[in-house]
Amino acid sequence: MDLLETFLTAAVRVATPLLLAALGETIAERAGVINLGIEGAMLAGALGAALGATAGGPLLGVAAATAAGLCISLLFAVVAVRFRANQIITGTAVTLAAVGLTGAIYRDAYGAEGVGLSLPTLGILPVPGLSRIPVLGEALFAQSALTYAAYLLVACCWWLLYRTSWGLGLRAAGEAAEHARASGVAVARVRMIAVLIGGALAGLAGASLVLAQVGTFAEKMTAGRGFIAIAIVVLGGWHPVRVALAALFFGAAMALQFLFQSFLLGVPYQLFLMLPYLLTLLVLAGAWGRTRAPGDLGRS
Amino acid sequence: MPAALLTLTAIRKRYGSTEALKGADFSLARGEIHALLGENGAGKSTLMKIAFGLVQPDGGRILVDGAEVIIRNPLAARRLGIGMVHQHFTDIPVFTVAENIALAAGWPPSGRGLRDRVRRLAEEAGLPLDPDALAGELSAGLRQRLEVLKALAGHARILLLDEPTSVLPPSEADTFLGLVQRLRDRGVATVLITHKLQEALAVADRITVLRAGEVIQTGAAQSERPETLATAMLGTAPARPAPRIRAAVGEVVINARDLAIPGAAGGGTGIRNASFQVRAGEVVGLAAVEGNGQRELLRALAGLARPARGTIQVTGPVSFIPEDRTSEGQIGELSLTENLVLSQGRAAPWAQHGWLDWPAAGRRAGELLERFDIRAPGPDVAAERLSGGNQQRQIIANAMERRPRVLLAENPVRGLDLRATAEVYDRLRRAAAEGAAVLVHLPDLDDLLDVADRILVLAAGELIPMPEGAGRDLIGRTMLGTRGQAAAG
Repeated sequence: MDLLETFLTAAVRVATPLLLAALGETIAERAGVINLGIEGAMLAGALGAALGATAGGPLLGVAAATAAGLCISLLFAVVAVRFRANQIITGTAVTLAAVGLTGAIYRDAYGAEGVGLSLPTLGILPVPGLSRIPVLGEALFAQSALTYAAYLLVACCWWLLYRTSWGLGLRAAGEAAEHARASGVAVARVRMIAVLIGGALAGLAGASLVLAQVGTFAEKMTAGRGFIAIAIVVLGGWHPVRVALAALFFGAAMALQFLFQSFLLGVPYQLFLMLPYLLTLLVLAGAWGRTRAPGDLGRS
Repeated sequence: MPAALLTLTAIRKRYGSTEALKGADFSLARGEIHALLGENGAGKSTLMKIAFGLVQPDGGRILVDGAEVIIRNPLAARRLGIGMVHQHFTDIPVFTVAENIALAAGWPPSGRGLRDRVRRLAEEAGLPLDPDALAGELSAGLRQRLEVLKALAGHARILLLDEPTSVLPPSEADTFLGLVQRLRDRGVATVLITHKLQEALAVADRITVLRAGEVIQTGAAQSERPETLATAMLGTAPARPAPRIRAAVGEVVINARDLAIPGAAGGGTGIRNASFQVRAGEVVGLAAVEGNGQRELLRALAGLARPARGTIQVTGPVSFIPEDRTSEGQIGELSLTENLVLSQGRAAPWAQHGWLDWPAAGRRAGELLERFDIRAPGPDVAAERLSGGNQQRQIIANAMERRPRVLLAENPVRGLDLRATAEVYDRLRRAAAEGAAVLVHLPDLDDLLDVADRILVLAAGELIPMPEGAGRDLIGRTMLGTRGQAAAG
């Protein structure tokens, strides 16, 4: 396997959690809710995956991660949607709470040191035939089941948003809640469900980070990936397919960072660690204004 | 008389200390257009919102097809076959026509099937509309058509239209009222809420007049006369228009040469070629069908848009009264004092080296309330809490406070009732008498002829000056000109 293939494979692997979280956030934002709590939901998902995998293998890990993401986002949904608290502050608080909560549970479960936690992971499932395509085959079709699930979810999200009555009502709720209400859309309920879907996908993102990428859990291990996912939603113009492309782009940037670290040894590695975050800033500065956010985004 | 389709009996509604409806009776017969006439605040909208389930009455009964019903929400109303078109557009601008209708009707938004369904609905109703057009890019007339289709998509037999022509330019208003009559022929009974006498007399079968929450009279439209209806609406005989004061015409304060201005995104032709002058002391009327460049021209003169070609010389200060008072005219969440301060800029007496003397600004805002007869609890209330007429008075007060040499007014009477409209016209004339040049656009040509000393016509982006004393006919034909019907589609 040459360097390019290694890089591309790593890019898709790294992009998978970003894509899952960004898809969930796309659903929530199209409904008009900006959920900064997905960073917390993703972290909770990561811990859920670790606990589940320890107890009963990777599949239980995936289930526990989804449930954990759901629980965290339910907290956000109740406060921000049901009680109409400010979405930015609620999301930040939920994320900070999740950092504390996961830290406490982790220390309780694995001890204060927690060094060398090694988890059973999801294996690579190469798709027969397709994985043999030169250059891209390996990258796209020799990944874990969660990556394939992410591909499938892109299509599901698109179909949900653009081909169902419920999706139409959801988009209306995000564009002009008042008018949507006049058309008989139950705006609060739709937003509630959208946030929960987003939370479940963020939990799944945490599972993919732990079970398909790192193979261990560490405190604060999501390291801002949830926030990067929010930038990806902007770059992807709130459209599932473009969001997927944007996630791959960010995945590539993160993979590039690993590459740089191993080749440019003289340079402090922290500089490379900054790369994805710097990219996030550039995207937010450049993409905002060119793409149009849902009209009622963030208004509770 | 045929059996009543919708009957409202002894409806009462109180908001805080004001009684909006004091036992109002209303009935809608099968196959009729019934005009509900009254001034702003008479209770017309409240009565129909009760019939649509948007407002719950404090007392009274509602009957549909002779059976008593309770209408808890718009969904319940729709199930009874009642559809409503609101005073403002309720579409979602970034959705297509088809998506907007699917949303209102609960249809699945899948591609081709939906498009055909929408096309069929539009044809059956006699309201053709492109299913793939974005709602936000339609002209006002077509957007209103979309609102009706949304209401009809739920198989409405009863259509409640709340001031449907207030958002339309005159040519499109006539077309729209024609469509309403065609709907009647297809068996849809319509309530037409309006404060325009002529409109009620032109299309309605019956007219009910509401004043201060009470029904004053109900009767067949043919037997009504405008004078008696106006008296019923106002409670007193309407005031005669003030005699025109003709100010001495002074120096040139607007001088535009060879102007070309690009059209706004998503509609409008812009200006292709305009050269004209306006002198101090004149009221010049800008006559144009919606979307023929008046928006762009007024904004360019106000310094809000840049011409692509040509020169503009305007002697300041300039005041601009934009058409949409809620989005451009002021900031609804801010207080009257804050809006005043914002509108006056840094030259105002209360702005000293970047510091604001709020007590001084507040005192001035209070004086303006008195001088312009703005009914508000005080200068500290949010502008959005005022009624439409009072908001417009406040915007005009702020515009006049700049002591403008040039006053640009874009449909400054939108949504105002008879009394408030007459007052605005009077203010414009007085501004000219005090030496300002006034350039005003009104969608209603008759009103424009009343107010203006001379007329400039904009058609398809060309500016055509009318000779003094040009009649309604000539001006109307010039407005529609050979290339003039761009937006009427």
